[in-house]
Amino acid sequence: MADHRIIAAGLTRQKYRGLVYGIAGLAILGLLAGFVLDQHFAGTIIYLLGAWTAGGIAVLAPMLSEATLQDERDWELHNRASGILIGVTMLIGLSMLPALYVLDAGSYIEITGTVSGVIFTLSALFLLYGVCLGIAKRRI
Amino acid sequence: MQNDLSKRREDEGLSQGELAEAVGVTRQTINAIERNRYDPSLELAFKLAAHFNCSIEDIFGPEGQ
Repeated sequence: MADHRIIAAGLTRQKYRGLVYGIAGLAILGLLAGFVLDQHFAGTIIYLLGAWTAGGIAVLAPMLSEATLQDERDWELHNRASGILIGVTMLIGLSMLPALYVLDAGSYIEITGTVSGVIFTLSALFLLYGVCLGIAKRRI
Repeated sequence: MQNDLSKRREDEGLSQGELAEAVGVTRQTINAIERNRYDPSLELAFKLAAHFNCSIEDIFGPEGQ
């Protein structure tokens, strides 16, 4: 473990955040550049490498560093942000989706393939949220 | 919950960063606790009490007391 800590030596919270957000930002820029320059495969590779590197640093650095890079308040912030996101999305979803389907059935609007895709994605996310909530409940 | 963490820290001549390092959290967390914007976990409250050699109730108390 001592050797591992040397790897992350000198990493402050500010540098840690800059590194994670910087690499993630470059990954997104790479993906967009690949899209614009018609180099989709290269863009995707850059994005995946960047996303995995940033994700790896985000998870591993707090374990390997002597400095406190993350603490309980960060987790509390994540929990609150996740709760707000789920709440807002659920409110919008529950209030709008039934109305959309009724209007579609009445031929006032047409639910296109894209909208259907969004609805299925949101439904899958809520299902996943339910599974994660079930897992979390087992631990508390 | 209210607290007198700021006063206790200043009495010891510690910066927020130094206290944070002593109890294993970030400076931002100490700042948030002092501004009554974040209630610490029981574990952190115990660490703070141990650091100042007092009980949790000496540092933290219900709002308005």
